Amino acid sequence: MKKRFMAALLIAILCLSFGMVVCATEGKSPRLVDFADILTESEEEGLLTILDEISERQQFDIVVVTTNTLDGKSPMTYADDYYDENDYGFGAEKDGVLLLVSMEDRDWWISTAGYGITVFTDTGITYLSEQFLPQLGDGNYEEAFTRFAYLCDEFITQAQTGESYDSSTLPKAPFSVGYHLSRALLIGLLIAVIVTATMRYNMKSVRFQPAASAYIKSGSMNVTEKRDLFLYSHVDRTVRQKSSSSGGGSSTHTSSSGKSHGGGGGKF
Amino acid sequence: MAELKEYKCPCCGGAIAFDSSIQKMKCPFCDTEFEMETLAGYDDELKNEQADQMDWNISASSEWQSDEMDKLRTYVCKSCGGEIVGDENTAATSCPYCGNPVVMMGQFSGALKPDYVIPFKLDKKAAKEALNKHYKNKPFLPKVFKDQNHIDEVKGIYVPFWLFDAKAEANIRYRATKVRSWSDSNYHYTKTSHYAVMRGGTIDFERVPVDGSSKMPDDLMESIEPFQFSEAVDFQTAYLAGYLADKYDVDAKQSIERANERIKKSTQDSFAGTVQGYVSVIPESTSVRLHNGEAKYALYPVWILNTTWKNNKYVFAMNGQTGKFVGNLPVDNGAFIRWLFGLWGVISAVVFGISYLLWL
Repeated sequence: MKKRFMAALLIAILCLSFGMVVCATEGKSPRLVDFADILTESEEEGLLTILDEISERQQFDIVVVTTNTLDGKSPMTYADDYYDENDYGFGAEKDGVLLLVSMEDRDWWISTAGYGITVFTDTGITYLSEQFLPQLGDGNYEEAFTRFAYLCDEFITQAQTGESYDSSTLPKAPFSVGYHLSRALLIGLLIAVIVTATMRYNMKSVRFQPAASAYIKSGSMNVTEKRDLFLYSHVDRTVRQKSSSSGGGSSTHTSSSGKSHGGGGGKF
Repeated sequence: MAELKEYKCPCCGGAIAFDSSIQKMKCPFCDTEFEMETLAGYDDELKNEQADQMDWNISASSEWQSDEMDKLRTYVCKSCGGEIVGDENTAATSCPYCGNPVVMMGQFSGALKPDYVIPFKLDKKAAKEALNKHYKNKPFLPKVFKDQNHIDEVKGIYVPFWLFDAKAEANIRYRATKVRSWSDSNYHYTKTSHYAVMRGGTIDFERVPVDGSSKMPDDLMESIEPFQFSEAVDFQTAYLAGYLADKYDVDAKQSIERANERIKKSTQDSFAGTVQGYVSVIPESTSVRLHNGEAKYALYPVWILNTTWKNNKYVFAMNGQTGKFVGNLPVDNGAFIRWLFGLWGVISAVVFGISYLLWL
C-alpha cells in the first residue's frame, strides 16, 4: 500500500517535471516581440520564420524586441532583464543574442549571453550596428531586423571557425566605387599638377643665383660665437581620444539576475 | 688708341687661332701647332713690330653723329685691308672680309689688361650638340621649334668678369624652438621650448664673379656659373685669337654690389647650417660685415647661341669650360594641357587600381 503510493507519487513527480520541461521548450517566448507595433502582421510572420530557422539551425537564440517604453530602465538593463526573465538561450550557458529597439528615446541595444559573448565582440557589435542602423533610422524596421538576423547567422558561422569577427577579422565593407573613384581623381589631379608644373618650370633655366656658396674658400668658416640660450617653455595639453577597439575581445557586465551579459548600443 | 693684332703663322703666314681641343694655337692652313708659352715670347716680338706699323686709322666720316662716333671704332685689317667696324668694347673679332681672327690690342692696354683668362675648352661643335641635348626630354617644347630650328649664330665670346674676394664677418641671432611630446592615460602633452641662439664668426669667399659686360644679360651669365678658377691662366692676348671678346664696360665699383648681395646670402645660409637640433629656426637679427679685397679682372669663355622663332629671340649660353648649358625655351600650351589631362587620367587609374587591390 505504502509502496504503491510511493510509486504513484514518483510517477506523478516525474510526469509533472517532464511536463514542465516540455512546457518550457514548447511554450518558450517568441523570438520576435513587437510591443511597439512597428511591424505589420505579414512582416512579423516573415521575420519570425527567419529568426526561428536560424536559431534552430545554429542552436543559438536570435531575439528581436521592440518597445515603446523602457519602464525607467536603461536600454542595457531592459534588454538583459528581458532576456533573463523570458529564459531565452540554448544550453546551460543560455547562448543567444537580443536586439532591443526602444521607440521611447530611439535607443537600440544588443545584449549577448553565453556563447553570444564570444560570437559578438565589442568591435563586432559596432560593425554589426553600422550595417543595420541606417535602415533602422529610416524606419525600414523589417529590413533592418532581417539584415540583423542574417548578419547574426554570419557571425555565428564565423565564430565556429574558432575566430570571431574582431578588430582584425571584420568582414569588409562593400567596395565603394564613388568614394574610391573621387579620391583617385583628386590624388591624380594633385600629382599631375605638381608634375606638369615642375616640367613647365624646367623649361626656364636662366635664373639669378641667389647665393655664392660655390665660392666659399674651403675650411675658411670660423665660428667664434656659439651660444644657445634657453628662454622659456610652455606645455600644451589635449584630451586623449579613448580608443575602444584597439584591444579587441568582448566586455561583459552582470545583469540584475546575476547573469553575465555582453553587448552594446546607442541611438538611431 | 686701339691697335689691331693678328697672329700670323710663323710657318706659312696664315692667320692662326686658339684651338680649344688641344689648348694650343693652331694654324688652320698648315696644321702647325704652337705652345702658348712660345707665343708669349712671340707676342712680345709682335708688339715691338707693331711700333712701326701705326698706320691704322679711325676713319669716321663726317656724316656720323658725334655720339654714334663715340660708340664705333673702325680698324683696318692687316691681311686684306678691309675695314673692320666694332663698337667701343669690341676687343677681339674676325675680319668680315677675309675671316682672319683679329685682336684689338688697345682694349687690353694699361688698367684694361685682364689678370686672368680661362681658355675655351669646348668648341662650336660641342655647343651645337649641347643645344640638341637641351631640346631633348622636353615634352612641352613646340615640335615646330625643334624641327624648324635654325641657329642664327654661334659665338664664342670671352666675357669680362670682375672677381671679388671677401671676408664676411657675421653676427646672427636666431629664435629657435624645440618640441617634445608625451602622453599619459588621459592627455597628450606638447612642450615647446624657446631658445635664443647666437652665432658669430667669419667666412672667406674667393673670386665671386660678376658680369662686367652690359651687353651680356646678368641672369644668363649667373646661370652658367660656376667656372673652375683652378684652370685659369695669366692673361695673354693670343688666347683670344679666333674668338670674340669684349672689354668691360661696367666697372668694379658698380659690380661689387651684386657680389656682396650673394656673399651675404651665402654667409647667412652657412651660419644657419650651424644651428642644429631645432624644429624651427627664424633669424631675428642679422649683421653681416664685408671686407672686400682687391677686385680682379678676368675673361671667362662663353658660347652664345641665338635663334629667332615667331619674332621672339631665344638666347642660349654654354659655359665654355664646364659645358653647362642654359636658355629659356618656349612652352607649347597644347602639349601642356594634353600632359596634364593625360597624367591625371593615368595616375587616377593607377590609384583607383591600387585602392581596389588593397580592398581585396
